Amino acid sequence: MMEFRPLTYDALTIGEEFVSDTMLVTPEDVDTYTYAVGDDHPWFSGPSPFGGPIAHPTFAANQALRLRHSRYVVHAGLHAKMQFEFLEPIRVGMRVRSRGRVIDKYERRGKQYMVTEFVTEDDAGRPLVRGQFTQMLIPA
Amino acid sequence: MALASVPAVGHELPSLDKELTQRHIDAYSGVRTRSIHTDEAWARRKGFRTTLAQGMMSTAYVSEMMTRLFGAGFVRGGTMSMAFVQPVYAGDRLTVRGVVKELRAESGGTRVVVDVWCENQHGQKTAVGTASGVLS
Repeated sequence: MMEFRPLTYDALTIGEEFVSDTMLVTPEDVDTYTYAVGDDHPWFSGPSPFGGPIAHPTFAANQALRLRHSRYVVHAGLHAKMQFEFLEPIRVGMRVRSRGRVIDKYERRGKQYMVTEFVTEDDAGRPLVRGQFTQMLIPA
Repeated sequence: MALASVPAVGHELPSLDKELTQRHIDAYSGVRTRSIHTDEAWARRKGFRTTLAQGMMSTAYVSEMMTRLFGAGFVRGGTMSMAFVQPVYAGDRLTVRGVVKELRAESGGTRVVVDVWCENQHGQKTAVGTASGVLS
């Protein structure tokens, strides 16, 4: 049974790791994402140079961004920075999951931040997207 | 439209306009209570004038611009680094812009590094950074 704690600066540990659940990339999910961001590129619904429909390159970013929710109750946070390396396309029909590790936490101008590096991979463990993000913690 | 050849440093890329409705934000973030993105009362309680779009939505817009210009050379091998410098609220209109910053020869082609940013309807920059794609 998973136990969830409120996310606080003090509770966070540099080096702690997160793993998301596995997500099947369905045509409906890809379609919802493209609606949300208003991008109707034909590769997301039909043939692409990669042999079939692919997801938007940033499709799985929320899976990575929400990694901390797998352990903590997060009252609110602001996303400060985001870096991506798009290694391979995310294809419809893949099962993907994200792994992350807290690599830094710091306080600046009275605000608290955490930095997480992540990789999103397919079910064979092949990396698809790699990057890191910085989130500002908003106290409860 | 995809770039037909390697652009020169200083070349301004075609801009992209985006309207952010609450419905788009809901579809992006998933409707949840106690969310600054989808629960207006909660957003106000946290000090914002209304709900905010996730910063990540701006990375999707930059990705759209880069994919349309660089095609497979962004989807496989592209990079992006963004800082979110101003909140984006439900109802805002964003314009995504890019200017070629640097060209780097690498195996398989030329990596084109672009200064990218999003600005709102008031002309304020809301996200700034760089993105790159490869043209063969």
